[in-house]
Amino acid sequence: MSTWFHLLPEYLFEGLTRGSMYALIALGYTLVYGVLQLINFAHSEVFMSGAFGSFLVIHSITGNSAHPSAGVVALIIILGLLVGAVTGALIAWVLEQVAYRPLRRRGAPKLAFLISAIGASFFLSQLAGKLFGRLSNRGFPSYFNPNHLLFHIGTARIQLFPLIIIGSAIVMMIFLDRLVARTKLGRSVRAVAEDAPTAALMGIDIDRTISRTFMIGGALAGAAGFMFGTAFGFGNTMGFTPGIKAFAAAVLGGIGNIRGAMIGGLVLGVVESVVPALPAIGTSWTDVVAFVVLVLVLLVRPTGILGEKLGRAA
Amino acid sequence: MSSPTFNSFRKNPLVVRLVVCLAGGVVLALMWGSQEGSTTDSAHAFTEAVLAPRIVGFLALGVLVWALISFWPRVRPYVVRPGAWPLVSGVVTVGAALFLMHWDDQVGNAKFSAVSSAVADTSGLAPLVTIYFGWLYWVGLLIVALLSAATIVTRRSLLGWIAAALSVVMGVLGLIAHSTLLDFTGGIDHSTGPFVALAGYVVIAAAAIAAGTSPEQVAQSRAFMAGLFGWRPGLPLVVVGALATIWALASATWFSPQNSNLTLSDTRTTFEGTGLSSLAVQYLAWLGWVSLAAAAVLTGAASYLRHRLLGWIGALVGAVGVVLTLITLYDISDLGAQNKFNSATGPWQNLGIGGWLACLGLFLIGSGGVIAAITPKSASGGATAEPIRSVLVPSRLRAAGDTLTQYRSLALAGAALVLFYPPMATLFWQKVLVIEVGVYVLLAIGLNVVVGWAGLLDLGFIAFFAIGSYTTAFLVGALPRKPPSWLHLSPLLAIPFAIIFCLIAGVLLGAPTLRLRGDYLAIVTLGFGEIIRIIAINNPGNFTNGPRGATNIPHPVIHLGPIHVTWGLDSLPYWYLLVVIIGIVLLLFYRLENSRLGRAWAAVREDEVAAQATGINATKVKLLAFAIGASTSGVAGVFFATQVGYINPDNFVLNNSILVLAYVVFGGMGSLPGAMAGAAVLTWLPEFLKDQVPSDDRVMWIGAIVLLMMILRPAGLIPAKRRKAELSGLQGTSSAETTAVPASEGL
Repeated sequence: MSTWFHLLPEYLFEGLTRGSMYALIALGYTLVYGVLQLINFAHSEVFMSGAFGSFLVIHSITGNSAHPSAGVVALIIILGLLVGAVTGALIAWVLEQVAYRPLRRRGAPKLAFLISAIGASFFLSQLAGKLFGRLSNRGFPSYFNPNHLLFHIGTARIQLFPLIIIGSAIVMMIFLDRLVARTKLGRSVRAVAEDAPTAALMGIDIDRTISRTFMIGGALAGAAGFMFGTAFGFGNTMGFTPGIKAFAAAVLGGIGNIRGAMIGGLVLGVVESVVPALPAIGTSWTDVVAFVVLVLVLLVRPTGILGEKLGRAA
Repeated sequence: MSSPTFNSFRKNPLVVRLVVCLAGGVVLALMWGSQEGSTTDSAHAFTEAVLAPRIVGFLALGVLVWALISFWPRVRPYVVRPGAWPLVSGVVTVGAALFLMHWDDQVGNAKFSAVSSAVADTSGLAPLVTIYFGWLYWVGLLIVALLSAATIVTRRSLLGWIAAALSVVMGVLGLIAHSTLLDFTGGIDHSTGPFVALAGYVVIAAAAIAAGTSPEQVAQSRAFMAGLFGWRPGLPLVVVGALATIWALASATWFSPQNSNLTLSDTRTTFEGTGLSSLAVQYLAWLGWVSLAAAAVLTGAASYLRHRLLGWIGALVGAVGVVLTLITLYDISDLGAQNKFNSATGPWQNLGIGGWLACLGLFLIGSGGVIAAITPKSASGGATAEPIRSVLVPSRLRAAGDTLTQYRSLALAGAALVLFYPPMATLFWQKVLVIEVGVYVLLAIGLNVVVGWAGLLDLGFIAFFAIGSYTTAFLVGALPRKPPSWLHLSPLLAIPFAIIFCLIAGVLLGAPTLRLRGDYLAIVTLGFGEIIRIIAINNPGNFTNGPRGATNIPHPVIHLGPIHVTWGLDSLPYWYLLVVIIGIVLLLFYRLENSRLGRAWAAVREDEVAAQATGINATKVKLLAFAIGASTSGVAGVFFATQVGYINPDNFVLNNSILVLAYVVFGGMGSLPGAMAGAAVLTWLPEFLKDQVPSDDRVMWIGAIVLLMMILRPAGLIPAKRRKAELSGLQGTSSAETTAVPASEGL
């Protein structure tokens, strides 16, 4: 137990790394839930597609060459984030056009949306498996995780790459926050989330706004996919567990609330890192922690930490 | 970039649709085939799929679909004419028979292409065989199809009759060529390709006749089917049953020891003077034919004359005929086992399809008698003998009784197939029927209660399956922790315990979560499923034996007084156990849908707030649905555990939950026959196509099917009557703004 306490800063840092990725994915869930009041079950496949897309581009550019210079690595990281984001946005857009829009036109009940999303999710992950192989822990070129130890904070070993992950996640979250709060697009997203028919009466193009919302969420998830893939490996089923956990994070922070999703993601990441390290529990129960958190939040405070702002409560 | 011409080009619906269809063709090209991604060359599968000549075919398919959709108004008048859809289905059936089914088990992989090339290389065959397998099979089909299509377009009855005659000739020629070929190659043969092709050709013939002679502009297929079954209730069953029994008694194999196919008369000569019981001897000699004749005449007269008593008598004679056949089959095979024919170890072995086909036919005849007896005379116009032609002209109002007769006839025919087809199937298909089809049908029935009737999206359904299986494993002592010695049970007795544990688990899961909205419920149940699987793997307290799972689960036994039944490795007895289990479940659920509870479920599903306002306790009602679905899944888990004999956590992955959901959605959410049909079709199809489609891709295709179903036909294969109205939704009456966001709060 005292070891646990001793290593707590290390767990916190690792939790922040994971949590920032969960936060990015959770933002996608929350955004779509805000405008459409439905869970985008296939969001996990958007996440996966970002990893694959960035891998394909990076691999074709650099091949298997090892240890390029630091500047080149930085450029490749930025390229990976960009390509991941673009792939994610593209897949999210296709998803909205194919799986959701026909049902919206028809006024289908919620169950139809959920089932359509499930079908799309399975189809996409298995198609990726067929096209790119079903190995579940492929890796990016090795220079992405150099275990480059920078400095210590207490017992936490601050490595370079996790720091990059946390940093880029924070930058993206700030960017999204500004986008939603200050731009015209952000205003239309908030308007549609609050009251769609009235927004339409005010002259907002609902279809286009919803499309753009999907794309924004998809871009964030795609970039998160790139980061997750470099840090933990990727495969065609990589999206499933992080997707569920990110949804738990979104609910934890308050579904529909953008800042809530960010906070929920970070909190869940930290909890997931700290709790299974307790001697009584063990790391084999890591995945269960997210579900337990989800159930507890839904039982005790369904509106989440920050409460719901966009959209309605459970 | 935003020049007016480009924008108008971009927004032109025809162009947009063409792009979408072409993209769909490319996606289909990516899905189809056995290219596999490799980790060394990431673009490998992609190039093999898309940058290959076959992409032209897929793009052409996309263009064809686009043309069909875009010019549908011009095509539609022809497509709805009488005979159009039957023609298409007949041609598809013949095509399936030619591409997928077996034509001669002794040649290569037994498919038509192998047989055809073998025939081309062999000399000394009868000219009919060489011609048929050489070019006649496709030329004939093409001519028949074209003639029938011409009949549909021009509506000339002469063309229709010619097409029908040619079609029947083609089908019969196929049969003759097949049996000549069998005489040539010899050996035991179970191929059914020619029979399926014959069925297809008969359908094409019927389509051509209908197209040529029907005075209607638009096909009234529902009224036609109802009228066909209702004209003389029970008669179609009697006719089909009589034909099947005649075939069985005349030329099907009854007994096949040591690679010889013995028909009924051959069996009689083989068993002459061997001490076979006199009943069996007489059956083989004349009793079989007499019972067929008696049953057929009685029931035929009963249905033609609409006579109730005759119908019951005919049904009784049919039932007696079935029993006689079964006794004869038992005696033959028992004697054969005693004489060690073909190393048989007990009765019911070495039997051909003949006896079972006779049982099937007699059962159908009896069913026809039952239908004739229970259909009241007032349905379909009374006792006046209407000409058969009247079914083609639905000008008079059909009574509702016609549809009921149709459903009853189909249900009884389905029962006949369920009882008597599995013994006729090959060993491979028997195994598929028991392990895949049967278990998933039971699971689909359970999930239908939760998702279809109560509207709760349960994604962790496989968890209850796991609980049922592990309960069984525990109670028979296959897990590390043994139960107390007084609790050591035989597998079938674990069923009540499995039900209880699943009920408890269902209530434990449901109580806190059922007051949540549907989206949350889905995720929480998914989490529950995963938690159960992780518990099974993590093996806390050494209870579940971790990833190794439980092995050595004994097979079921029944020792009840004089009844001793054991199950072993043979798949067929499990099928009948499954039929009994599913029968009991169906009996219980059939009434449930229209009961007070069923209506409460429908109310909660459609609008929970309104339902609560009328006094329904929504939470209690939802909990009941959860519990009932969970216990059905638990029973399926018991059956699975004892039948396979070993379980491990890999049997209970999330994929299987999603598969069961897909089966229920595909078949029709909320409709009991729909859920069963969906499960049966979607478990049968991958096995049927296992040479065409790699088994790894199964989940991908099923995902695509679910997605397409929700977009195009959310009501499913066999829609529940209530559901169909719900899911078709508002048809284009609202503008984009008001339907942009899903309107309903409830499911």
